[in-house]
Amino acid sequence: MRGNPYLPSLAKIIKTREETPDTMTFRLEIEGSGGLEFTPGQFVEVSAFGYGEAPFSISSSPLERGFIEITVRRVGNVTRALFSMGEGGVVGVRGPFGRGWPIEEMKGQNLLMIGGGIGIAPLRPLIEYVIAHRNDFGDVMLLYGARTPKDIVYKEELERWRDHIDVRLTVDVGDETWRGRTGVVTVLLDDVEVDPRETYSVQCGPPIMIYFVTKRLVEMGFTSDRILFSLERLMKCGMGFCGHCMIGGKYVCRDGPVFKYSEVEGLLEPALVR
Amino acid sequence: MGKFVVITKEDFNELLERLLGTYQVIAPVEREGRTSLSYVSDPAEINMEYRGTTLLPPKRFFFPEVEVLFTYRVAEGRVELYDKLEEVKGTRRVLLGVRPCDIKSLEILDKVLIGEYKDPYYAARRDGTIIVGLTCNEPDEYCFCAFTGSGPWASGGFDLLMTDLGDRYLVEIGSDRGERLVNLNLDLFKAASGDEVEERDRLLKRVEAEIRKQGLPDLTKVYEAFVKNFDAELWLEYGRRCLACGKCNYVCPTCRCFDVYDEPSLDRGGGKRVRVWDSCHFLSFTRVAGGKVFRSERPSRVKQRIYHKYCYGVDEIGEIECVGCGRCIKVCPAGIDIREAAKRVVEL
Repeated sequence: MRGNPYLPSLAKIIKTREETPDTMTFRLEIEGSGGLEFTPGQFVEVSAFGYGEAPFSISSSPLERGFIEITVRRVGNVTRALFSMGEGGVVGVRGPFGRGWPIEEMKGQNLLMIGGGIGIAPLRPLIEYVIAHRNDFGDVMLLYGARTPKDIVYKEELERWRDHIDVRLTVDVGDETWRGRTGVVTVLLDDVEVDPRETYSVQCGPPIMIYFVTKRLVEMGFTSDRILFSLERLMKCGMGFCGHCMIGGKYVCRDGPVFKYSEVEGLLEPALVR
Repeated sequence: MGKFVVITKEDFNELLERLLGTYQVIAPVEREGRTSLSYVSDPAEINMEYRGTTLLPPKRFFFPEVEVLFTYRVAEGRVELYDKLEEVKGTRRVLLGVRPCDIKSLEILDKVLIGEYKDPYYAARRDGTIIVGLTCNEPDEYCFCAFTGSGPWASGGFDLLMTDLGDRYLVEIGSDRGERLVNLNLDLFKAASGDEVEERDRLLKRVEAEIRKQGLPDLTKVYEAFVKNFDAELWLEYGRRCLACGKCNYVCPTCRCFDVYDEPSLDRGGGKRVRVWDSCHFLSFTRVAGGKVFRSERPSRVKQRIYHKYCYGVDEIGEIECVGCGRCIKVCPAGIDIREAAKRVVEL
């Protein structure tokens, strides 16, 4: 990290890929370093100069050193600015920040990954890592739910991942082309048979998904130290200073964003909310 | 026991003249009947006899209410950044006349802002500022530092600590930097007698006894009571009373939450990245992209500040983050009294 942690490194948008009508993956080449050394699950603060800064999970493989990627849904000023900049645009990058997935601890175990909507972004680097080190893990399953078939991101990757891990999809609302499951992502848990004592569950998605999936995982027999999730809060600084992401004495930006349920279930403020 | 020296009030004026020649001096200044910390250029502006606390705490001289972090220029697809930290690095100041409670608040901010990560703007200003404290001879009705372990004595965090003994000041030396300052002006100081040190003890004991009349619990040890009563009825009551104006955050010496935004120039060819003080009482404080607000109910926001002071602070830095200055009580338009809240929680 350079001297002043508020000063971003400059990065060029070298490639964009439209994932859905409102979601795009941006490939960023950082001046000097290209990519970043990071743990899957960590995030960066990305600046659109003149519009501000916002936190994004790094969504590219940690094995890729020439660039990083972020997957962005157009919902605010910063994201709108990123969309209009497109390829060739210059942005700022600070980070990586926070604590990612505990990969070493999960080795030798089965993984049950659950993603909702764009919440699959912080799972993508983990999935790429797991596939590159496939023998280090047991059975690996990805359950992914999107609102409609049009809202499914990483369509190419999902096809490729199927060769290495068990990928199951559902959409809240199907269309004329959809032949798969419909319903929220918890419906996929109905058919899952895993040994909760030898499996880590790993989730990221909207708060309401994490709330209900966690409830379900507890019913399935998962102990709270095997239920992992990445939490969303407003993270302005990334360093535990600005205060916005605090949950009862913990900072999501610094102590998370990846938490075990056991680490937050006792907090005074509820970490999981509908 | 630290080292003590004495300076007459007349010689203290001479010391101020000398300091003004070398440093920027921040000191208590009386304006319209209220005392504020302010930059001074003339010893005559300074009011060392103010009662209780200054209107605002010293944090704004280390962590200003508005701070430009850097500026940028955008031209032909290129961006250039200009770090504002460089301008902060040359800081050479004396902060004069700050109370033990406020000295403690700076020690708390140090633990928060200079840890695993370091806030370089804050740290540079801290490094470049000599702290010359001033103990209280007369607390005001809002002061409760004796219950938060942050006054009327100061156990550290100062370079020099003065006590008004009438025609002279007793000065405790708290650091090498403080000692150097004394040595450079040795002609103005005398060694202190045991009687003078005892006189300070008597003074501060009287101040402490005055504050203790309020009969509050030991607020450094209320963690468990707060944990137990997170869902207590009284928070709904405070939630109904709170106007969510954020004044308590602004006058609090340890509140340091901030927002960051960009301020582009009109031609959008450049701009500034700015941080400003923020308030956990605002609805926007926990709003994430997409619109979800995590603390949408007002009691949850009232609790956030108070729990951060007496509970989360212990998790965060190992001690409470309230120094008992009473400023939040003084300014609250709804009459919310954090002392009373803490006392009620303990008595539940």
